[in-house]
Amino acid sequence: MSAATLAAETARRLREAASLNATLAWSEEALEAEAALAESVPAGPLSGQAVAIKDNIVTTVLPTTCGSRILEGYRSPYDATAVRRIRAAGGIIAAKTNLDEFAMGSSTENSAYGRVRHPLDPERVPGGSSGGSAALVAAGVVRSALGSETGGSVRQPAAFCGITGIKPSYGRVSRFGLVAFGSSLDCISTFGVTVEAAATLLAAVSGHDPLDATSRAVAPLELPAHRDDLAGLVIGIPEEYFPEDLDAGVRAGCDRVIARITELGATVRRVSLPNTRYAVPAYYIVNPAEAAANLARYDGVRYGVRRIGPEGDVRALYRATRGEGFGPEVRRRILVGTFALSAGYADQYYGQAQAARQRIIADFAAVFASGVDLIFSPTTPTPAFRAGEKTADPVQMYLADIFTAPACLAGIPAMSIPVGRSEGLPIGGQLTAPDMGEASMIAAARVLEAAIDPAAEVR
Amino acid sequence: MKIGAEQVRHVARLAELAVREEDVPRLTEELQGIVAFVEQLAELDLAAAPADAVVIGPRALQLREDVVDPIPMVRGAADLAPEFAEGFFIVPKLGGLAEE
Repeated sequence: MSAATLAAETARRLREAASLNATLAWSEEALEAEAALAESVPAGPLSGQAVAIKDNIVTTVLPTTCGSRILEGYRSPYDATAVRRIRAAGGIIAAKTNLDEFAMGSSTENSAYGRVRHPLDPERVPGGSSGGSAALVAAGVVRSALGSETGGSVRQPAAFCGITGIKPSYGRVSRFGLVAFGSSLDCISTFGVTVEAAATLLAAVSGHDPLDATSRAVAPLELPAHRDDLAGLVIGIPEEYFPEDLDAGVRAGCDRVIARITELGATVRRVSLPNTRYAVPAYYIVNPAEAAANLARYDGVRYGVRRIGPEGDVRALYRATRGEGFGPEVRRRILVGTFALSAGYADQYYGQAQAARQRIIADFAAVFASGVDLIFSPTTPTPAFRAGEKTADPVQMYLADIFTAPACLAGIPAMSIPVGRSEGLPIGGQLTAPDMGEASMIAAARVLEAAIDPAAEVR
Repeated sequence: MKIGAEQVRHVARLAELAVREEDVPRLTEELQGIVAFVEQLAELDLAAAPADAVVIGPRALQLREDVVDPIPMVRGAADLAPEFAEGFFIVPKLGGLAEE
């Protein structure tokens, strides 16, 4: 397919998927320009592919809003490194996708531009915060998309939508052009209709970038060789990820995978990650603290929208711009983060959260040091929930990240693959690997993908 | 700990965030809920922290040569700022900020 045909086809699919509310910006003109650019670069791993981009990753042609009123109409002066690498690999940028405002949320209900619909059931959420990217991939509009993870914002929507989502090791993908949220956590991550699609996009955007000081000085990810089975691998099953109240469908789906893992020649070993229950509370201190610091830049002076309060001075400008420009969840996290860092409370809250984070890192390190190659668990405690079900109680929404936040706190790679359905809703199974262990994780995920029917009812 | 309305107003001032007075009771309740939730971390014995604990982030930080390597920008401050003139960002008078 020529790039021009791909662009026209992508535009047609985006129009057909409009009811999902998955996009914040795209245009036929921009797609045609992308196609012209793609014709001028040598064929690469993304040739013939349109890739959707979460709207917290900056682009010069299409606006970048982060799903927030405070950046309404903002156009970046530069393209993110990941965007440039997609084009260099032959791909075209399809659209900017809807998200929870500044990536704060687990349902895409926190977008200032309306919620994203789940492609299989419009009454349900696609997960979040990268819900728009997940919905576009699940609806077949694009084969792969960029999202970002801070606490699970790619794996959780991948699980809800029945697609693959990969969070790489911290520093594997340049964050130059990813709008900063939680700097010790943020990772550009990828979605794919298949393991191969998500892995190919990840490989294309990976590798050292001098423009990002936290980018690791390593060569781009190389996709692993194909393997027929899981022989020789030890797969750990952490008891803390299978609590009593785990959704019955999620449990049945994961039990089916564990049985297949044994049949495929791997050794299944029960392991313990005892500090797992502290992951979400630690995350909801570290993350708001970093967010409060990072979001200080939205002041109505250098870019974005501006409001001036009744006093008419510069402080009234800051307060009114931020008070009106940020939505409820962003304001909540800024307040929590500012509280956790304020005089008299920093040791008690932030210090304790950092200590919990170190335990979580040590838990994973001990399991991998004991000879476990990969960890398998559910990605989420439930399948996709209904819109409005968790919006009244922030803590209930936060607990949607319970199985994804630990890998973010530890900076290690993890991915979700579809492993079956419960009452028609997709279930995600999660593989977690040691630092920089993406290749073996992807190789194992391919084997599981080939051995498991993701459309089968598991209950 | 118990979060009060005055604490919410104080934190909002620190964060330069206008909060409507009618929203304070709801924000107080939400913050109280979140703080109560994260307080389960107090169960952890800090003294027993693992000695060889790894810290993410700074560990991965690479030191680079101290050279200016400008990136091409397709638009500048004048295009991005709400108000910009003759090379300056225009802001209102300093007001209360000047006294601090």
